[in-house]
Amino acid sequence: MKLTRRDFIKSNAVAAAASVAGVTLPAIKSATAADGDDGIRWDKAACRYCGTGCSVLMGVKDGKVVASQGDPDAPVNKGLNCIKGYFLPKILYGQDRVTQPMLRKTNGKYDKNGKFEAVSWEEAFKIMAEKWVAARKAKGAKGVGMFGSGQWTVWEGYAAAKLMKAGFRSNSLDPNARHCMASAVGAFMRAFRIDEPMGCYDDLEHADDFVLWGANMAEMHPILWSRLTDTRLTKKGCKVHVLSTYEHRCYELADNPIIFEPQSDLAIANFIANYIIQNKAYNKDFIGKHVNFNKTTTDIGYGLRPSHPLQKAAKNPNKGKFNKIAFDEYAKLVSEYTVEKASKMSGVPKKNLIKLAKAYADPKRKVSSFWTMGMNQHTRGVWMNGLVYNIHLLMGKISEPGNSPFSLTGQPSACGTAREVGTFTHRLPADLVVKKDAHCKFAEKVWKLPAGTIPRHNGMSDKAAQSDISGKPMGKTLIHAVAMHRALKDRKMNCFWVMCNNNMQAAANMNEESLPGWRDPANFITVTDPYPTVSAQAADLVLPTSMWIEKEGAYGNAERRTQFWRQQVQGPGESRSDLWQLMEFAKYVKVEDVWPEDLIAKQPEYAGKTLYDVLYANGQVDKFPKQQVTDDRGNEYGNDEMDHFGYYVQKGLFEEYRLFNSVPGIPKKGHEMAEFEVYHKARGLRWPVINGKETLWRFREGYDPHVEKGSEVQFYGAKDKKANIIFGPYEPAAEMPDKEYNLWLCTGRVLEHWHSGSMTRRVPELYRAVPDAVVFMSKKDAKKRKLRNGSMAKIVSRRGEIVCRVDTKGRNKVPDGLVFVPWFDAGRLVNKLTLDATDPLSKETDYKKCAVKISKA
Amino acid sequence: MNICSLVVHTKPEKGPVVSKRLEKMTGVEVHGGEDADKLIVTVEDEGETVSPVSDTMNAMNGVKGVVSTILIYHYGGEESLEEMKREIN
Repeated sequence: MKLTRRDFIKSNAVAAAASVAGVTLPAIKSATAADGDDGIRWDKAACRYCGTGCSVLMGVKDGKVVASQGDPDAPVNKGLNCIKGYFLPKILYGQDRVTQPMLRKTNGKYDKNGKFEAVSWEEAFKIMAEKWVAARKAKGAKGVGMFGSGQWTVWEGYAAAKLMKAGFRSNSLDPNARHCMASAVGAFMRAFRIDEPMGCYDDLEHADDFVLWGANMAEMHPILWSRLTDTRLTKKGCKVHVLSTYEHRCYELADNPIIFEPQSDLAIANFIANYIIQNKAYNKDFIGKHVNFNKTTTDIGYGLRPSHPLQKAAKNPNKGKFNKIAFDEYAKLVSEYTVEKASKMSGVPKKNLIKLAKAYADPKRKVSSFWTMGMNQHTRGVWMNGLVYNIHLLMGKISEPGNSPFSLTGQPSACGTAREVGTFTHRLPADLVVKKDAHCKFAEKVWKLPAGTIPRHNGMSDKAAQSDISGKPMGKTLIHAVAMHRALKDRKMNCFWVMCNNNMQAAANMNEESLPGWRDPANFITVTDPYPTVSAQAADLVLPTSMWIEKEGAYGNAERRTQFWRQQVQGPGESRSDLWQLMEFAKYVKVEDVWPEDLIAKQPEYAGKTLYDVLYANGQVDKFPKQQVTDDRGNEYGNDEMDHFGYYVQKGLFEEYRLFNSVPGIPKKGHEMAEFEVYHKARGLRWPVINGKETLWRFREGYDPHVEKGSEVQFYGAKDKKANIIFGPYEPAAEMPDKEYNLWLCTGRVLEHWHSGSMTRRVPELYRAVPDAVVFMSKKDAKKRKLRNGSMAKIVSRRGEIVCRVDTKGRNKVPDGLVFVPWFDAGRLVNKLTLDATDPLSKETDYKKCAVKISKA
Repeated sequence: MNICSLVVHTKPEKGPVVSKRLEKMTGVEVHGGEDADKLIVTVEDEGETVSPVSDTMNAMNGVKGVVSTILIYHYGGEESLEEMKREIN
């Protein structure tokens, strides 16, 4: 039979679908995509979008991605993919890709108010280095800042941490993960003294009860949702409890649908703990052996500027201290949260609350709790994460198949990059922190730098002030994401580099706290992005980047799985990867520009060198010579960074990073990773990887090799190997509806668009499916304001206003008194409305709660 | 042009009838799976900038008896129709 190319592709497509569905079709032979006569080269890559970490097969022909397929060999997605995933190739080929560095200029010179003109990389980095060095000298460690990303590859985050913390001697590095995961991190560190979930996605097949606490998995993690759905439909007695402040697609599967008043999740969680104690259901043996009880400092404010009235009114602003208490005292503290009280505060019927509490309290039922932004973007997000750990710990329902408190992530490498390699202001690689002198010294040793190079949080090393190029003492050095925008506005920070995210669109209260600092002539703003985003347009210098599979990369997903991919195609025009940019920029700054004399005197061989020489050409990062990258079928792949720098950059950075987590004598065990090459062969591995074996459930004997024999469970992040139950009460939200601003505003995502839409809005199919943001509101609320489905509405907060179309019939059904507006739409910037209130402990913004009023536009 | 394959889950025992409904849609072909209520479906178009394939897939969710549609494979090359029709063996 004669075959056309079309027939051939079609038969591959059919075979792939049949294989995933488990349907046998007699006419079809090959089951999955393989290199064949169609001239397409297939290779795996981790998906560019969310934190699920699906593996996709990318088909490349003549240097262009032409096809994609869910990876049938991937344990995460088992051949499935969501709608965003299927149009992945198209995110590379948007018509307005930035292909040259662009600088604002007038008459051939940089001018803050000039028009963007194409410039060479050399001109771009020269002006940038000039501005950065001047700001670093004039304003100290906080004079310069970098805002990075949970979408950076592992080595990009690592290279950035080195550049900022060791090179520029500045802790002004924070990732956009601050906006999404910081509360989760804070709670992990408080409860377990080590970051990231103990369980894994295999819990999705093992649980009897699933509890969604502020996570719309159906739309935001569709593949995990399909695994959960399978379990719900095939396992006898399996139940799904869904908690949210509005009804979303997950409610179609909910056995126990719960809509609660914003912020009252704190009361619900404490009620469950109380229910468990009142019914003596707690696991006495477990809490006796493995748990400490504590209560946290209360009345801690809202992470606003110190001058804000709410901040002034707080008794203990920003205090995170918690103190040990006895079990009886803990029991007394939660006893206030009766079902009556929780029901009254939350508006949830008592029977639903009891049904939920019973699921946790039944020792025979395995419970997995999942949450994302509903719990993290919360002015008491750290407490709230902790309250869920309290419930699991009381029951001992943790660290075993199906019993799992699981914090999901929104970005592909929020875990692998943002959290693990130390891109937060207070962190260093592998959970080390700049608060500890010993951790800094260890990092300095690994990086072959003089002791005292890395700025400590308080600017003190060995009890003496660290000297600085500014001539003044180093002083306090920590600065988080929201504070960076405030510092730009206050001219305390003069240079800002935003990479791999769209913070002008993403940060809350943009008119009052973001734009003024960015457009101030005193400040120089650089944005690295593939597309002319809202952020790029507000910048002074725009650098084009080679994105995702236009470079060799690695991401770490929410279940601790590290996944690699090879460079599949080349970026367009002059674009260069974020990694290239970080390392190449380091060549434009000399050690003398940013280090004081006494520091250089400790290692005189570094005098006259560039930051590039000291940080990357250090005998470790440049250790692995240039080579041809191939796969096991003999296909050859490019590596633009290796070509440019002359060595295997990605391998060198990863192997240096492993000196923090995988060799004897490291300060914190538990993050072990395999050698570089292993990941190019595997479909990802979940750390800790010990003797080549990944770990599925941490802290429990038999699953985690770090747990000593006979001990059953060890929370070995802490010295006493115990976890912390920490009581935190209900405290109100920062801004609640009142007579004038009489509606809650909640923001978030939709299935078709990822984050700020800078990629998905450029895919015609996704754009057409959901072109503009709408305001979801109840029919009753609409009618009251003389609005109906489809009318244009003006939404006003105390900080700004936007106009968008009303949707009373769509996928999200909001209760009276609350509206939901997604944030993907650059034409309707919902962050003009939001308040920059944060969790005072995690510094993560609460994007889910502020007050607005709505009228006819 | 676009070629997609999908798995379409149908309500119990509705595989054969849903299959007939889907095949009436432009560019849609059902390749099997009727007995398992999991239809193996392809959708094709001739290569407009904005592909009607996505519209077709959206429309499938509204077809009576359809529980869910899952995309499995997407081909979106830019070659001409003639090229695609050329025999390769």
